[in-house]
Amino acid sequence: MGISLTPSAAEHVSRFLENRGKGIGLRLGVRTSGCSGMAYVLEFADELQEGDRVFEDKGVKVIVDPKSLIYLEGTELDYTREGLNEGFKFNNPNARNECGCGESFTA
Amino acid sequence: MDLTRDHFALFGLDRTYDLDVQALHDRYRELQRVVHPDRYASAPDQERRLAMQEAVRVNEAFQVLKDPLQRAVYLLGLHGIDLDRANARVDPAFLMEQMELREALEAVPAAADPHTALEAVLERIQAAIEGLQGRLSGLFARGDEAALAEAVEGVRRYQFLDKLRQEAEGVEARLEETG
Amino acid sequence: MALLQIAEPGQSAAPHQHRLAAGIDLGTTNSLVAVVRSGRAETLPDEQGRHLLPSVVRYADADAVVVGHEAKAMAAADPHNTIASVKRLIGRGIADIKTLGGRLPYEFEAAEGGMPRILTRAGAKSPVEVSAAILEVLARRAEQALGGELAGVVITVPAYFDDAQRQATKDAARLAGLHLFRLLNEPTAAAVAYGLDRRAEGLHAVYDLGGGTFDISILRLNKGVFEVLSTGGDSALGGDDFDRAVAHWILEQAGLGEGQDPRLLRRVLADACAAKEALSEAGAVPLDIDLGEGRRWQGELDRETFHGLVDPLVSRTLSACRRALRDAGLRPGEVADVIMVGGSTRVPRVRERVAEFFGIPPLVDLDPDRVVAMGAALQADVLAGNRPDSDTLLLDVNPLSLGIETLGGLVERIIPRNTTLPVARAQEFTTFKDGQTAMAIHVVQGERDLVQDCRSLARFELRGIPPMVAGAARIRVTFQVDADGLLSVSAREQTRGVEARVEVKPSYGLADSEVERMLRESLTHAEDDLAARRLREEQVEAARVLESLRTALAEDGEALLEPDERAAIDAAAERLETLAAGSDPEAIHTALKTLERTCAPYVQRRMDAGIQRAMAGRRVSEFD
Repeated sequence: MGISLTPSAAEHVSRFLENRGKGIGLRLGVRTSGCSGMAYVLEFADELQEGDRVFEDKGVKVIVDPKSLIYLEGTELDYTREGLNEGFKFNNPNARNECGCGESFTA
Repeated sequence: MDLTRDHFALFGLDRTYDLDVQALHDRYRELQRVVHPDRYASAPDQERRLAMQEAVRVNEAFQVLKDPLQRAVYLLGLHGIDLDRANARVDPAFLMEQMELREALEAVPAAADPHTALEAVLERIQAAIEGLQGRLSGLFARGDEAALAEAVEGVRRYQFLDKLRQEAEGVEARLEETG
Repeated sequence: MALLQIAEPGQSAAPHQHRLAAGIDLGTTNSLVAVVRSGRAETLPDEQGRHLLPSVVRYADADAVVVGHEAKAMAAADPHNTIASVKRLIGRGIADIKTLGGRLPYEFEAAEGGMPRILTRAGAKSPVEVSAAILEVLARRAEQALGGELAGVVITVPAYFDDAQRQATKDAARLAGLHLFRLLNEPTAAAVAYGLDRRAEGLHAVYDLGGGTFDISILRLNKGVFEVLSTGGDSALGGDDFDRAVAHWILEQAGLGEGQDPRLLRRVLADACAAKEALSEAGAVPLDIDLGEGRRWQGELDRETFHGLVDPLVSRTLSACRRALRDAGLRPGEVADVIMVGGSTRVPRVRERVAEFFGIPPLVDLDPDRVVAMGAALQADVLAGNRPDSDTLLLDVNPLSLGIETLGGLVERIIPRNTTLPVARAQEFTTFKDGQTAMAIHVVQGERDLVQDCRSLARFELRGIPPMVAGAARIRVTFQVDADGLLSVSAREQTRGVEARVEVKPSYGLADSEVERMLRESLTHAEDDLAARRLREEQVEAARVLESLRTALAEDGEALLEPDERAAIDAAAERLETLAAGSDPEAIHTALKTLERTCAPYVQRRMDAGIQRAMAGRRVSEFD
């Protein structure tokens, strides 16, 4: 299973990485947040941490730490445009409740 | 960014009169993307001041390089020739031609069809400028002392013509405003 | 739902911890505020659902300032204390205001430096203070909607605004206690809102006819970069003039001449505006005008007559378009798109003639009233650092030439108009008398050759020049215009290397000392506001945390917590709930932190439980 990217997400990640001029890939993760939930992490990756899993999809390296992977297994990262804005979206089969703003969730 | 480099080096372009205009524009945008003050809206004051200086420098260099007349003056400067101090000797025949063009321009508003008359003057000016650009490009490519001396005279002519063109555009603006 | 952006390593913002930013369209007739929320730029309504805030400020009594609809409703009844269209006055001198045309119902007094103040029953008010009152209302609206303090704002100004007008707008932001990320030209903001940066490259015109100003900008878009090629316009021409032309016609038809009292004028102007709007749909509108003292006038205004009245004004806008195109070295046919901005572009006659001039139908997809604020909000979000991957770059130009006064009242140009910003130019000056130690410099802005025809921006004195014989001193004065279009000046004596002291006194702006005085005066109020805001923020956060905790506990509280742990969490939550109903923000904050600490083992266990659930039935090797 692992983690996958839609063609649009892959294209944008590649472009942003190229634009940034450095970085080995994209880091996806989750971390605890507040009193009950978790939040997504979406960052450029400059180096690998111990235990990191690396996936490659459509030419993009996606790096996930093992703990986060439990929550992200099977996730598809998409890039969409909504009205005037655009950005990334986690299509996560493990997430049950997402808060209205999409930044945090409970599994 | 090294602010002491010359304009060509700043843009990573060859020091030549016939520069690659597309490359100039592309490099300009790349540089501004990095140094524009908006990139530093939330940065500490010190960094913002520095970015501002760099953005000013990039704009200044771009302004000079994209304009064929300013570019020529700047190239002479890089060859150690200060136009204000260089010997001024402009061919009398050229001056006669200038006077004639100027008279034609002054006669425009009174012409039966001022727009057509103005168009004719502007075309002559444009043709003369294009001729000069071609000549300057050859002279700068040669780059020896005799060629540069000749380029000084060419730039002088260019300055005359540029001034005349600005005046002609002023006439055009007034024509349009009065209908 | 929010769309996420890629952050720098380790820089992911905690959820709900974005830096809050807003875009403000400070308009002549109406103002708006927009924010990027849940991934979208949207203008914010007031409690009654109204997005537009009339740019009207009323000083009801010495302490009560009323802004917006209520103030507008009182304009006719209390014209001297109700200030509308203050944007026309900002950064202007008394002399300009006298020549602005139209009869302004206010009484002015000239303050120090020629800046006018409007006499109201609450005292003399400068246009900067009036503008700040509008900004405060909009900023408060944004903070309420976002539930937190704004990190900064982007405020839009007409591209044609000169330095004094920009400086005054910046002062208004300061007076309103706002951090200004940037002043953004209105047409550029509109182009951002239309997402033109994501389109193919091309040349675009932004035709912005607002209530009181007209702007035309020619932009070149290439690979996500906006380059303003030229700007033009008229900072004293707008939809209000349409109303005035119609009102004038009505008065003429009713047999009334000039010099009517302000109340009647306001009434007729309101009727004129309604007739203009009705003519967008109808071919003719009936008029029934209350002339006061029981007299009425009845008549009809048809489209043809209306066109006759407004055509000269539309023609003036098209002349400005022609000039801007010429400055950019273009013909009308080379423009790929024309964006329509400003409520007055709803007038069908305007759209018709713009389409005819450019030879293409103009773009009208987005609400022309809101598009500028939306663009400002998008840019504010970028400047707040919430979109580190955005490659939008706005390159603006200097809208008017900057020069200095030389002998004989002539202007010497230092920075020509349409120079890409930021820019700096240096000029050398010398002394003309032996032993001269000071020198006066007068900076002006405008395209004319005589100082008297240009706008006076600043006068300053260079002092501390070492005494030398006439002509020996070489003073290098550097004029710098930043990305907001604001001028600053520095000077240095070259032969001795003395840094000369420069005092720039904006001719029509507020001196820094004045702004500081006003800030001090408003500080007492500000402290109250600050406490109220802090309380509200903490309450919102407490409610959010309690809600999600309740959901989680209902789900797995039983399974994951020992009874005593559960009791501790319940107690901490209850304490937070009680305090959140009170009015001490500090106490709520402490209770919130205590609850979070009490919950920490629970949150960790939830995460571990999630891992175990996911691993159940799988081989460990899958997770290598």
